[in-house]
Amino acid sequence: MLGAVEDADREIVERYTDQPSRLPAALRAGIEADFEGEPVQLYALADLDASLKLSPTTWVALGPERIAIARDSEDETPPVVRSFSRASIQAVRLEPGLSCNSLSFLAGPDEPALARLRFTHRQRRAMENLQFVVEQQLSGRTLEPDEPADDSYADAVAGPVRDAQALVARNDMAVIWRLLSYLAPYKGAVTFGMLSATALTLLSLVPPYLTGQIIDEIVKPVQEGTMPMDEGLRLAWWAVGVIALAYALRQVCAWARLRWMAVLGEHVARDLRTELYEHLQGLSLAFFSRKKTGSLITRVSADTDRLWEFLALGVVDVSLSIIQLLGLSAVLIHLDWQMGLVMTLPVPFLCWITFRQGQRMNRIFLRAWRKWSRLTDVLSDTIPGMRVVKAFHQEEREKRRFALRNFDATVEFNRLHAVWTTFWPLLMFAVRGMVVLVWVLAVPRVLGDSPAGVTLSSGTFVAFLLYMTMFIAPIDIIGQIARIMNRATSSAHRIFEVLDTQPQVIDSKEAIRLEPVEGRVTFEDVVFGYDGVRQVIRGISFEVKPGEVIGLVGPSGGGKTTVTNLIARFYDVTGGRIRIDGVDLRDLDTGHYREQLGMVLQDPYLFHGSVLENIRYGMPEASFAQVIEAATAANAHDFLCKLPNGYDTIVGERGHTLSGGERQRISIARAVLHDPRILILDEATSSVDTETEYKIQEALDRLVADRTVFAIAHRLSTLRRAGRIFVIDEGRMIEHGTHRELLAKPEGTYRRLSELQQELTQQHGSASDSSVRERMQ
Amino acid sequence: MTKTLTSCVSNAAGDLQGLRLWRGADGQLWGRSNAEPTPRAVRVCRLFPWSRPAEYVSLRDEDDEELALVSRPELLESASREALEVSLAEAGFVMEIASIVSVEEEIEIRTFSVETAQGPRIFQTERDEWPLELAGGGLLIRDVAGDLYAVRDPERLDPASRKLLWVFLD
Repeated sequence: MLGAVEDADREIVERYTDQPSRLPAALRAGIEADFEGEPVQLYALADLDASLKLSPTTWVALGPERIAIARDSEDETPPVVRSFSRASIQAVRLEPGLSCNSLSFLAGPDEPALARLRFTHRQRRAMENLQFVVEQQLSGRTLEPDEPADDSYADAVAGPVRDAQALVARNDMAVIWRLLSYLAPYKGAVTFGMLSATALTLLSLVPPYLTGQIIDEIVKPVQEGTMPMDEGLRLAWWAVGVIALAYALRQVCAWARLRWMAVLGEHVARDLRTELYEHLQGLSLAFFSRKKTGSLITRVSADTDRLWEFLALGVVDVSLSIIQLLGLSAVLIHLDWQMGLVMTLPVPFLCWITFRQGQRMNRIFLRAWRKWSRLTDVLSDTIPGMRVVKAFHQEEREKRRFALRNFDATVEFNRLHAVWTTFWPLLMFAVRGMVVLVWVLAVPRVLGDSPAGVTLSSGTFVAFLLYMTMFIAPIDIIGQIARIMNRATSSAHRIFEVLDTQPQVIDSKEAIRLEPVEGRVTFEDVVFGYDGVRQVIRGISFEVKPGEVIGLVGPSGGGKTTVTNLIARFYDVTGGRIRIDGVDLRDLDTGHYREQLGMVLQDPYLFHGSVLENIRYGMPEASFAQVIEAATAANAHDFLCKLPNGYDTIVGERGHTLSGGERQRISIARAVLHDPRILILDEATSSVDTETEYKIQEALDRLVADRTVFAIAHRLSTLRRAGRIFVIDEGRMIEHGTHRELLAKPEGTYRRLSELQQELTQQHGSASDSSVRERMQ
Repeated sequence: MTKTLTSCVSNAAGDLQGLRLWRGADGQLWGRSNAEPTPRAVRVCRLFPWSRPAEYVSLRDEDDEELALVSRPELLESASREALEVSLAEAGFVMEIASIVSVEEEIEIRTFSVETAQGPRIFQTERDEWPLELAGGGLLIRDVAGDLYAVRDPERLDPASRKLLWVFLD
């Protein structure tokens, strides 16, 4: 599976960029010869030369001892390789720019740089990987990249495209076949729907044919006196009865086809939605941090809806239109080959210009869509920010901005209407022209005045005319095949992209259930990085006893939240081991383990629904008495009693009807009821006022009793119950001990932070805590 | 408030008299000022890269502290100005689109194949990421990796490029 990911990365680099998907073999050989046989560990492309021209020929490669700068030649001459010892590097400097970044390997003060490489942002991740390894070396740590150099490079270059579109656009027909495979459980309905549609098409051919027959075989003989009136009437009524029956059956088939295929499409869309949502629930947090929420919601809603449209209508319409056009052409040519050719020969051309028209409309629609986006941007800007608009008295300005963009969008949509309202009359005019041509050919022959002496019966001519009216709809649909297929394959791609994503955290087949979890948490030289090279956690070890309260402090971005994410097994460690009660976390049944884990986050998330439902979220079977007990322990009961609907109050989307402190207390009540053995508090009191903080702190004091607790806090005063404090910075535990022990360290980070906070508290009171946080960052 | 802001900028401009900039042997830009006489390695930060590309450059050291705010580089003495201009060229570099070969829509991304003043380039944007209109005319396109591509004057592109760009122009 992993190999497939790397192959996909290389495919992305080859397909979407104009640079090699790996270090050219001749260059690698030259570099490794320079390294005296040592392998290339990492490499990157410097795609800008000194004059800032795009020149994808210069590579930088890292070996165990040396770094090489290699230049690929465009002719047959051997590559130029220059290298220097890694030990000679005193510093490495990355300078970012708008589109030109530079990475310099520096030998020492006032000495020329060992190498200075310029590159666009596309190469930046690969360059940063190199920078990171060299910086680690400068800090005295030797880092061995844990994935092949080719994979690191392809991953780094392909990353931005992959994040925007995880699935490289593969063969569209393969996607359509995969989509159609979802029809398999409904074979009976599909067969019935297709048969109905086929019968509908065939029955449509009957009335024109019978009309011609009535004219030629009944009306004309009766008028000429060669058939008795009674016989004529009897046959005519039979024919009219058959026509009526054909129309009736046609409508029954139309009903059956619409009904069956619509329901069928709905079933398939439901199956896809369910499969998609169930799959989403199993995916790792890394996937959700990579994808925009709106994009995922669109896949589950709009994309499955589009597929309904394709399956319910598109598949049948397209296939039957082709059958209908072929059938009509055959019938017309059979009736009269000359007039038949007049009608059928232009059909491919008409389909082509309809297709071209679709392409033209797409361009105009894209432009209109851009203008529409600009219009909706104003709405999404100003409606949530209405307080700011009013506070700065900018209502008139916003009105003008909206009016201008509204006007622009209208112009584009009118352009769109001008094009399609011109095209369709012209197309119809062309079809009518064909009809007139048929008349021109037919009239002399119907009147018996044809120079070639070829005659045409009135009935055949009338049947011909009726068949001609049936040409328009299939031409329209066939002209739209490309659009219909594009829409369906785009949606199917987006859905299959999610379905094909594998969770990064997978339970083993023999997953262990700890019953109960006692709460002993052990980190053994834990290493973790979100990609294969850069480590966010760099060798942290500790042991926490059941019931111990641990405070995690340190600068933002230092790794505190990552530590708690690893404890919750949102990600698996890339090195070392985490043990829970002595068992490797990766051997545990993750679902069962998380049932015994609780989290209270800085920004508590409440679901749309009642307070009762939110408190019960982790324990739906909890009794009303237990809910009240939990809310009381969380200091939420009293404010809930003040709400007119009490615990049945609907909190609104994300709990927006409540204040931050109220939401936090409900989330604490949820955690209390969940009764976890291991509890994670991530800055639970950081965004509330002092009085609310006191209430929350009081609730937390009750919550933490008898559990293993990891509490992240910037406000050190909130860690008064912590037995030990871990100071985490740059992925390492730089200090640990009790509050008193850490304060006793003269040059300690904790002591410095504590003094800083005390100083500011004395100066400004607790309101200045946000400044402290900024300075800590 | 306006008065306070004006005085801040003019003070910074006044400080330019004592500001000296030079490039070290390793290519690094260094600077010192009357207020900060100890030489410091600095990087340049254009405050208005599109609105006022040639003005208002913040010189920031490794701790991201501002050594000076250069409101107008021409106020610097010539050696300092030359040193600054080399850094500005790199820091402000974006690819200049000379012609557009193709624009293809795909699932969630749009692929541009272009000729730039710096050489040929293929890049992708997200489909909802529309080119930014620059105040003085022209377009700025940002690709999925964060690289920027400028079309300074769309009217001067060849007809085929203009046709491809029509969707993104007003």
